[in-house]
Amino acid sequence: MRKVVNKHLLVWPLLLGVSLAPLVAQEAPQNKEELKLQLPKPMFIGTPRNIKSANLEAITGKPRGPFYVPVGTKLLSLNRPVRSSDMQPVIGELSMVTDGEKEGGDGYFIELGPGSQWIQIDLGATYALHAIVAWHYHSQARVYRDVIVQVSDDKDFLKGVTTVFNNDHDNSAGLGVGRDKEYIETSEGRLFNPNGAKDRYVRLYSRGSTANDLNHYVEVEVYGTPVK
Amino acid sequence: MSRTVFWSLFAIALAVGLAFRLTRLDVRPMHHDEANQAVRFGLLLETGEYRYDPNDHHGPTIYYLTLPSAWIRGQKTLASLDERTLRIVPAIFGAGLILALSLLAGGLGRTAVASSALLAAISPALTYYSRFYIQESLFVFFALGFLIALGRYALNPRIASAVWAGAFAGLACSTKETWVIVLIAASAACVFARMSAAAGAEGTRGSRVSPAARGRQVIAGLLAALSIALIFYSSFFRNPSGLLESMRASTIYAGRGMDAGSHVEAWDYYLRILSWSSSGGLVWTEALVLVLAVAGIVQAFRTRTRRFWPLYVCLYSLVTACIFSAVRYKTPWNLLPFYMGFVLLAGYGAAALVDLVRPRAARGFLVLAFLAAACHLGIEDWRANFRYPADPRNPYAYGQTSTDFVRLVKRVSDVAAIHADRRNMLVKVVAGPYEQWPLPWYLRGMKRVGYWTSARGAGSLDGAPVIVASQENAGAVEAALGDRYISEFYGLRPGVILSVYIERGLWERFLKSRQPAVGDGR
Repeated sequence: MRKVVNKHLLVWPLLLGVSLAPLVAQEAPQNKEELKLQLPKPMFIGTPRNIKSANLEAITGKPRGPFYVPVGTKLLSLNRPVRSSDMQPVIGELSMVTDGEKEGGDGYFIELGPGSQWIQIDLGATYALHAIVAWHYHSQARVYRDVIVQVSDDKDFLKGVTTVFNNDHDNSAGLGVGRDKEYIETSEGRLFNPNGAKDRYVRLYSRGSTANDLNHYVEVEVYGTPVK
Repeated sequence: MSRTVFWSLFAIALAVGLAFRLTRLDVRPMHHDEANQAVRFGLLLETGEYRYDPNDHHGPTIYYLTLPSAWIRGQKTLASLDERTLRIVPAIFGAGLILALSLLAGGLGRTAVASSALLAAISPALTYYSRFYIQESLFVFFALGFLIALGRYALNPRIASAVWAGAFAGLACSTKETWVIVLIAASAACVFARMSAAAGAEGTRGSRVSPAARGRQVIAGLLAALSIALIFYSSFFRNPSGLLESMRASTIYAGRGMDAGSHVEAWDYYLRILSWSSSGGLVWTEALVLVLAVAGIVQAFRTRTRRFWPLYVCLYSLVTACIFSAVRYKTPWNLLPFYMGFVLLAGYGAAALVDLVRPRAARGFLVLAFLAAACHLGIEDWRANFRYPADPRNPYAYGQTSTDFVRLVKRVSDVAAIHADRRNMLVKVVAGPYEQWPLPWYLRGMKRVGYWTSARGAGSLDGAPVIVASQENAGAVEAALGDRYISEFYGLRPGVILSVYIERGLWERFLKSRQPAVGDGR
């Protein structure tokens, strides 16, 4: 009988804690604030929930939860110069990657050539980086292959490279086996967490998508704070 | 235009057409229809067996005419075939279509035919389906052959023209069931144009033939048509009932034309594809051909200048365009039989416009404008066939296999390469028929590939190191496999995804066979 009582004593606070956890999670941690993103209009309704793969992020159909960054975090990438492995996109111009326009329709994205391609944003100075958000193409549900996000202080990415995200699970890009999962593009974009890495350059790789072998970017936003 | 200038321009057009049709024939993944034809051809190549199927796959000419291509390349089995061996056949007929236009120089004029040849060479639609291992390119070539031979017979009834017309009719009939539309439209157009054309040198010779001689000519033509149809449909006399089966097919295809299922499109579908198509930042248009064709139609109907050949081509094109547009079942390659006529009319219209403008400078400007517009069409042709051949934004890519699917094939191939059984590694495919193709083509080199439409029917799944499943079957497959397999997914075609399951130990060995990890710095 005593054992039963003890069990109840343990279970109820646990249940209470679990049920209150989402409420607690809504509060910003100390010295942090919620990252406010201006999201474009969705171009399609719903996501293809019938895709089943252990290598794909779970499709919830719900908005992404709040993401907290240090107080004073600013958008650093707006109108910053962009380089690419394909300097002459077939559609659009590289400057469109950082022009602040995130709509999914025609005229808002750039199209790079087939195979593995990268774009690189020069932030102009070294910053503590707290969030990178990328919209590849969100007019239709598709998955981009071998998405790798790296940051570095070296413009050629030969030294001091930190990999923020890598879902190249078979190392086909040759940058190492990635442990992150693939994801379906939506109007929310995909948020990558650089965990405060202090760097000047941001590079994003991809290698075509489930739709075709070309690479697209609507917008990339990089958020951070000055290095003290 | 002098004869020398004409042949020089024509040779340039032919060279351009050949370059667009023969270069990098393997750049586009095999469409499921192509793959289906390829596997059927592989069976003919390996066993010599072919039987006409009235329910599907169209006529037999493409299979028999691919044999020389395989023989020349020394390929004797399905596994040894490749895309170039197959696609060179429609490509040659696509180039042959350009060459055949030269036969109309007398009837339409040299300027008109040279312009038509250039437009045909760089037309994205004509090029795209000349690089596509389906019947269309062959069919349009035979249809043009029939059109020309019939027209020649109408103006100058000789037994040779009748036999040629019959032979091309037989070849068209042995290629695709839509021969009924094309042959009837051409015959009706020929009779009407013959009656309407202004009396002249080209319109009087026919009356000299006696009814008895005409009867003999018609019988010779019909015999030629029947003989060729019998040879092909009976599989060179091995299956005599094939010819009767082909007649039964007419009713099957007529029913399909009206009850078109997922292929139903509005009447203006072809017009929209050709005139203006915009998607995902890309714009496609063959308006140059359409606008010039309108000029050609106007010129063909002008009473003062009414002549047999322009009127004949015009009526044929309009009638076939109307019939194909009225049929509910539509696929983009079905526009070719009438679009070929529009290209001829466009050349005729271009010549008429040049002729209309008298001042030398204005005429030069018109020619330059035509060449500039043709350059734009050429760029579109390159984009359609080399840059975006499998892209859903390309209006000619219809249910096209995605480039992502080629990665799936490479994955299976790479994994088999490190498996102890190599090409004998067991692969189970659990998917509906629509999702299975073009896998049988791409996995033709593997000896143990099984196909099932449901997981229940596939037996014990975990005996296979690799399993490919459609999304409908993925749940059942995953439930059977548990966590002993890793899974991936690949786009097959727009809106269709396939999952691949690889036995975990095999996957680990596969990863080890790759370059060591160097960049995952987290």
